[in-house]
Amino acid sequence: MDNEPQPRSPQKPAARQNARPSATARKPTGQRKSAAPRKATSVSAKSATKIESELILSIVGLTKRFGDTVAVNAIDLDVRAGWFFGIVGPNGAGKTTTLSMITGLLRPTFGTVSVHGADVWSNPEVAKRNMGVLPDRLRLFDRLTGSQLLYYSGVLRGLTPDVVRERTADLAAAFGLDDALGRLVTDYSAGMTKKVALAASMIHSPRLLVLDEPFESVDPVSAANVTEILKKYAASGGTVVLSSHSMDLVQRICDHVAVIVNGEILANGTMDEVRAGESLEDRFVELAGGRRAAEGMEWLHSFSG
Amino acid sequence: MVAQLLRLKLQLLANAFRRRPLQLVGMLLSLLYGMGFALVIVVGLVLLRGVDPMIARSIVVSCGSGAVLGFFLLPLAFGVDDTVDARKFAVLGIATTKLSAGLLVAALLSVPSLVITTVALTQIVTWSRGVLPTVLAILSGGLIVATCVIGARVSTAIAAFLLSSRRARDTTGIISVILVVALAPAFIYLASVDWSFNGLNVLARIANAASWTPLGAVWAAPADAAVGSVGTAWLKLLIAIAFVGLLWLGWRALTAKMLVTPQRQAVVKTITGLGWFGRFRGTPTGAIAARSLIYWSRDARYRVSLIIVPIVPILPVVALAIAGVHTTLLALVPVPIMLLFLAWSTLHNDVAYDDTAVWLHLASGTTGRQDRWGRAIPVLLVGLPLAIVGSLVSTQIWGNWQWFPSIFGLNVCILFTGIGLSSLISVRFPYPVVKPGDSPFAQPQASGTASSLIQSLSFFALLLLAVPVIGLAALGALGDPLWHVAALGAGLAIGLAGLFGGVGWGGRVFDRRAPELLEFTARN
Repeated sequence: MDNEPQPRSPQKPAARQNARPSATARKPTGQRKSAAPRKATSVSAKSATKIESELILSIVGLTKRFGDTVAVNAIDLDVRAGWFFGIVGPNGAGKTTTLSMITGLLRPTFGTVSVHGADVWSNPEVAKRNMGVLPDRLRLFDRLTGSQLLYYSGVLRGLTPDVVRERTADLAAAFGLDDALGRLVTDYSAGMTKKVALAASMIHSPRLLVLDEPFESVDPVSAANVTEILKKYAASGGTVVLSSHSMDLVQRICDHVAVIVNGEILANGTMDEVRAGESLEDRFVELAGGRRAAEGMEWLHSFSG
Repeated sequence: MVAQLLRLKLQLLANAFRRRPLQLVGMLLSLLYGMGFALVIVVGLVLLRGVDPMIARSIVVSCGSGAVLGFFLLPLAFGVDDTVDARKFAVLGIATTKLSAGLLVAALLSVPSLVITTVALTQIVTWSRGVLPTVLAILSGGLIVATCVIGARVSTAIAAFLLSSRRARDTTGIISVILVVALAPAFIYLASVDWSFNGLNVLARIANAASWTPLGAVWAAPADAAVGSVGTAWLKLLIAIAFVGLLWLGWRALTAKMLVTPQRQAVVKTITGLGWFGRFRGTPTGAIAARSLIYWSRDARYRVSLIIVPIVPILPVVALAIAGVHTTLLALVPVPIMLLFLAWSTLHNDVAYDDTAVWLHLASGTTGRQDRWGRAIPVLLVGLPLAIVGSLVSTQIWGNWQWFPSIFGLNVCILFTGIGLSSLISVRFPYPVVKPGDSPFAQPQASGTASSLIQSLSFFALLLLAVPVIGLAALGALGDPLWHVAALGAGLAIGLAGLFGGVGWGGRVFDRRAPELLEFTARN
């Protein structure tokens, strides 16, 4: 099943080589400097002997045009089982568009997406069964209570009511939603809404979680809990693809990362390869066009009456 | 300030035109409709110049008072999606008087304001019968516009302000329904007046009473001068001026208050258990059915639709009764209408009602079949008992049990074809609706004529489908009662074909264009 992947990401041909197991995802800050860019080569020699994990998500030539605007331009991406894959990019770079096409919510103009070998658009049943989805900025059925929403999500995914009830209790405990299950989702705070949507996305134990901005408006304590849950999930063979604005967070929890700017992938590989010895944030700003010096704003420093 | 707010309002209007062609056509048509309406009034007012002043006074004052009342009540009852709500300017730190004046000027740029301005200008023509009436008419013209525009702003502000919590908004719909029901007798009384014989007397009485109220005084001032009672004319002008002054003070105070008042918070209550989910089978179809039922009771938009179901038949029944149709025959009218509205109002645009939440059905791989049947089942569960009991009661009142098969057949046919067609329409021709949580009567950002065209066409189609059943029933009524059984057969056959055909077709459309549906809900 694990055939040699075709070369992707022209910028970094070395990027694909080391598909490390996920357990080593976190690198303490102290080690950052030692992880020099060329180190990747030495790792790849080791990992070449290892069997690459199963291909879970494969994207080929994915393109989306809205009229004359090209939102996503011929993206290729492979994500393997156990990866914790971060997609970063500036506002309007096409992250949400890409994730929507992966999850079957938005019809691509060109290109294919397959999840666990099943094409999302020609064989949606299998592909969608293997996928858990957290979209950004789409409504929930928020006139349901928390437990009703979880039940609805579970049963729509084909789970039996008993299994859903059991898992609802577990998820509520894990996400700290116990007290909120009986309230209408529309009365939740933004962070709570995010958490219940996140819980609903994983109730059917999918192989792949596609999460758009999962940590937005989630408080730090909850974010730590959610991170913990996701890491355990990835350690046991699950795959996470998430998008985020928070470079620190992505650097901390993801082991692979792709940088999308203007609908194109500018860098793609393991965290260490993409960072190339810098912090992800610095590397990202560099790739995304550099910092703009804040000149010509002197008026801001002389306050008006 | 005023200029900036005017520009903002113009920009908002201009942006409304940057929509899809179909919506644009709809907007232009509504604009045309408003202008046509204004034109009719203008012609009427100009013609009234040549009419006896007493008669002109009766007509202008009574109709004018109604128009002012409309400006006050409509925003309150139906809620207006306010593009220039004062609260949106709270962070800008604009002086209150400036802001409230600016918002009023900006409010002049709307179709109702333009219509009333035109009317206010034309009534000067009606009263140009001498110096004093003309002068008073010119003064009144300004006051009419001021009264209506400020009045509408005050009502809108009160509606937005007092009814801003979610739960309060949810109840607004119910209040408006009650209001409509309460006003119905008044309309029925007006409808029952023999206008050609007695109309002017009724109008004169209404005008006399209204002319002393702030609603009518502004219209009555030039009219009174024209009929010769100069004293009352000045007095009524004073009433009108005082009223505008009061409205201005009220509006200014409301603006000041709105600028410093945050949104009200609703009390949260806890619900235990799974509700309807526990009573349906644990399959996707069952879960969707349960979810629909829960939304019927929790979503104000569905609640209003359902409350209207038993009210809708009142109007045609009353109209027919006034026209002299016998009571026993009237018994046959309400049930089919109720069934039609039940199937129609809950289903025919339900995907748009879901808004973007429908993504869950896409992401979970819910098939069109499950989606469509899940939504149709609650309507069947409520509609079938209603059809059976309703048919029994209607037949009992009608008194001839030989008709029962026809009556039941027609009712079932209408329920089933209504569900089938609605299931197809909601995925094929969804149209924008108010967002979940907004007032059920607020206008969606972009409602167009396309939607009303689709609605009337499908109503017509449903009637057409029922024609064979009605025809067979008529044969039974006129001749051999066996035709009634044939009507039942035809009703069931057409109904079941419509139900399965419509739901099945709708399901296939859902499968095919689910992403486009999601895109549609995201866009509107």
